[in-house]
Amino acid sequence: MNDSYLTPRPERDRRPLRFLTFGIVTILIFGLLASRLAYLQINNGPALAARAEANRTAEEAIPAPRGLIYDRQGRPLVTNVASFAVKITPSDLPFDQRTDVADRLGYLLGLDPSTILETLDTAPGSRFDPVRIAQDVPEDTARLVSESSDQLPGVSVVVETRRAYPAGPLMAQILGYTGPVDAASLDKLKADGYLPDDMIGKAGVEATFESQLRGTYGSELVERDATGKDVQVLRTTQQAVSGASLTLTIDETIQKDAQAALKWGMRVAGLKRGVFIVMNPQTGEVLAMVSLPTYDDNLFAKGISVKDFQKLATDKNEPLTNQAVQAHFPPGSTFKLVTGTGGLQDRKITPQTRLQTRAYLTLGSTRFYDWNHAGFGLCNIFCGFGHSSDTFFYQVAGMLGADRLAYWARQFGFGAPTGIDLPGEVSGIIPSNAWKMNAFGQPMFQGEVYQAGIGQGYDVVTPIQLINAYAALANGGKLYRPQLVREITGPDGAVIQSFKPDLIRKLPVSQATLRTMRLAARKVVTLRHTYNLVDMPIKVAAKSGTAEYGLRDSKGRLPFHSWFVGFVPKDPYHGSFANPDSQLVFLAFAYDSRTIGNAATEIAKDFLQRYFHIKKDYRLPVLLRRGNFYGH
Amino acid sequence: MRAEPGRFADVTARSVGAMWRAYDLQLTTYAALLGTIGLVMAYVNSVESGQQALASGTVFSRALMWSGIAIVAYVAATLFDYHWLKTLAWPIYLVNIGLLVLTKAIGDGVGGSARWIAIGPLTFQFSELAKILMIIVLAVYLGNREGKLDSLSSILGACLLMVPPWALVMVQPDLGTSLVLASILAGMLFMSGASLRWLIAMAAGLVAAVPLAWTYVLRDYQKERITAFVTPCVDTLGSCWQVLQSKIAVASGGLVGTGLTNGTQSRGDFLPVQESDFVFAVLAQELGFLGALVVFLLFTVLLWRIIASAWRSRDPFGTLFGAGLATAILFQVFVNVGMVIGLLPVTGIPLPFIAHGGASLVSIAIGLGVIQSVNIRQHRAEW
Repeated sequence: MNDSYLTPRPERDRRPLRFLTFGIVTILIFGLLASRLAYLQINNGPALAARAEANRTAEEAIPAPRGLIYDRQGRPLVTNVASFAVKITPSDLPFDQRTDVADRLGYLLGLDPSTILETLDTAPGSRFDPVRIAQDVPEDTARLVSESSDQLPGVSVVVETRRAYPAGPLMAQILGYTGPVDAASLDKLKADGYLPDDMIGKAGVEATFESQLRGTYGSELVERDATGKDVQVLRTTQQAVSGASLTLTIDETIQKDAQAALKWGMRVAGLKRGVFIVMNPQTGEVLAMVSLPTYDDNLFAKGISVKDFQKLATDKNEPLTNQAVQAHFPPGSTFKLVTGTGGLQDRKITPQTRLQTRAYLTLGSTRFYDWNHAGFGLCNIFCGFGHSSDTFFYQVAGMLGADRLAYWARQFGFGAPTGIDLPGEVSGIIPSNAWKMNAFGQPMFQGEVYQAGIGQGYDVVTPIQLINAYAALANGGKLYRPQLVREITGPDGAVIQSFKPDLIRKLPVSQATLRTMRLAARKVVTLRHTYNLVDMPIKVAAKSGTAEYGLRDSKGRLPFHSWFVGFVPKDPYHGSFANPDSQLVFLAFAYDSRTIGNAATEIAKDFLQRYFHIKKDYRLPVLLRRGNFYGH
Repeated sequence: MRAEPGRFADVTARSVGAMWRAYDLQLTTYAALLGTIGLVMAYVNSVESGQQALASGTVFSRALMWSGIAIVAYVAATLFDYHWLKTLAWPIYLVNIGLLVLTKAIGDGVGGSARWIAIGPLTFQFSELAKILMIIVLAVYLGNREGKLDSLSSILGACLLMVPPWALVMVQPDLGTSLVLASILAGMLFMSGASLRWLIAMAAGLVAAVPLAWTYVLRDYQKERITAFVTPCVDTLGSCWQVLQSKIAVASGGLVGTGLTNGTQSRGDFLPVQESDFVFAVLAQELGFLGALVVFLLFTVLLWRIIASAWRSRDPFGTLFGAGLATAILFQVFVNVGMVIGLLPVTGIPLPFIAHGGASLVSIAIGLGVIQSVNIRQHRAEW
């Protein structure tokens, strides 16, 4: 054994140079580290320190309470209620735990896990933005989810407000609903402060008045940890300002009457779709607007399930479509207002001009029948309009020609959106020679002009256009934009915008002509074209319409819609239609109403009985039996 | 065996007082100061995680316990006559290999790696111990070859000894420790006086082998860390995120720091593994440039005392052991701090004394104890 320490060997080579090298290397290394540290901490410190601050804090939006909506009497139609929402922040959810978390969360919420994953994958915004998985979660479930948070990384439960629509289906077509903002819109809306998990008005006035209802989101500076969880609020940098509230022109009571009337008629006649609109012709205010079938907008407010949405979206009766503005139909005889007014104003006829009405007109080898195969003999405008003689108006339309007829239709507001405060309004079609050249490469044939003169053929109109045209007749020629909002009030109660009538145009029609047409419309009632309507204690001027559409049945008959549009004078009991003072115009539309009589007329009677509290029942349910108007 | 009366006389002459005079109190002091800073950082970490610092299972309470164990290990190693290590070299080597094999077999770790072995409530990382054990083994091996150290065979022999433990650490996989083992080998060969020509030739060979290692040895996440270091940061997560957050933390410390427990980066959990690999970032943010300089200074004087002990050693074991320990500490400080301040890629190498981790602390304590054992068993102090 070589116990070296017993025999000291001071001569042992200890390589001093290498020890020195080690010392130098040590000093160099610490010198390098210290100088780098000095560079970072002293030279570069402030810039990177600012990043540490940016790391730690974040500006977070404070959602502003959305504005409320009232009816014209101040009855609340929309409220905000607190509800629990479950959200997932994708960046906090480790990828390998995605399916586990989706399974667990799906079980707790009663959702399909694949739906949760799909929602995550299709969410707009970045991985750091929370994605709403479920809203309006019951409190018990919300608590359960909160308590399982350690098994549900990235999942959070937040309290937010959602919309509640106390009247539900009654107002859904008008109010619409809010829903999560979609990726496409978000790109455009980001600049306005919309957040990826924000809600936005999707239909109805919720959509039209989105910018007023939304308010201004505030912001606050919060301290966050690396997982993005808020540690504390440091300060509020901007206060949230609540959205403005809307007072609608709609009167909930009238809306209920209109819905009840329409429902009654549709039930008795076995109809699938219908519209009822009530307006004040002096201002363009819409007092009621019912489109059936409808839906419950609370379903959307609570976060509609895919299944429920599919059911609504694929229903062939289109409950999500407001048939009053988002769909168009042939106007039928109601369009004779345009033909008659045009004929008179263009001096093709005078109020005294009598035309021969007969069973049919012949054009080449084609016969153009009157609905009444006996004809009405020699007829002036009162007789022609009152009996709704087709052959009378074929002749007037022939005198006017396609383009003049289209001109007058456009003057009455047909063929263009009315500009009502609802999204998705359609224009309808008013054929002219130019239109037909463009669409079919040929001008209008004379037969097509005849058809157009009685509101058949290519003509299609929306119910809101039609009632607005009659409103202009009733008020002495002022075509107003139909409006739904009476007043916009700020969160402090100050009125931001109050109602004023919005004139689209003054019809280029003399008061005498309008008076003639109003009296002619009164004739429709007094000649008992509308049966016992004249017996009611109120005075009504109106026009009914039976508009054929679609394909002939086995007996060569076409299905048809029925229309009824009318108005009452300011004094409904003693007033005169000579004066343009009507305060009430109403329209009933019954889609595909193959009934013995005009279903829309019976619906309108039901409404008038309710509106004027008429005790006696003038309705004739027998006319609502299944049959064919032309068959009897 | 011939009796050696001189030995008894020698031992009796070397009274406890003489041993105490040879004992390097400075070295102990610097080590204790560094250990205290480690405890302070553990305390900071516990408080910032919102824990009661002394509650069981916190980083701080575990650090206290490991400090106790480290002190016991240090005293035991000091009292233990290091000459026995020469006899025990081979058993130590085999035990080392055995522990590493065991770690691979039953160890736990993150992401499928096997690094720790649970001993009761504690976990122990035997690759940390392997550093000290390999310094002992190499010191014995190279010491026995004194006089032939400039031959290629010495270098190759040392390398061969290192290959099994190095490979076992590499397959855990633990790139950091394997780099430390390589640095120990290089440092000890250099300090032993091995032929510079051969060392340079071997270093050149290693550089040439880098492409091979890249393809066959490194794991994807290890490559990612290295590429993240050499390429500009594009990824806001992963390695880039760690380095960026670490640099932000360091920079926001400024000259004097934000004050202990006031580090926003650590409190907000922006820093990865802030109690271990990135603890220096927390320290630099909270104690500032001056605090970091104090730490550097303490490491420098500690290394000076270790190297001084190595120089003073009468036998090659002491010299070589000191050289190995100094190399290991210097390399780890350089790589860890370099990583935190964005000079070097992210490798899982803990900062000696300060990073939380029982095995590292206990291993260093054993190493320092062996140095003191060498110190007090010399005839006299040379300076």
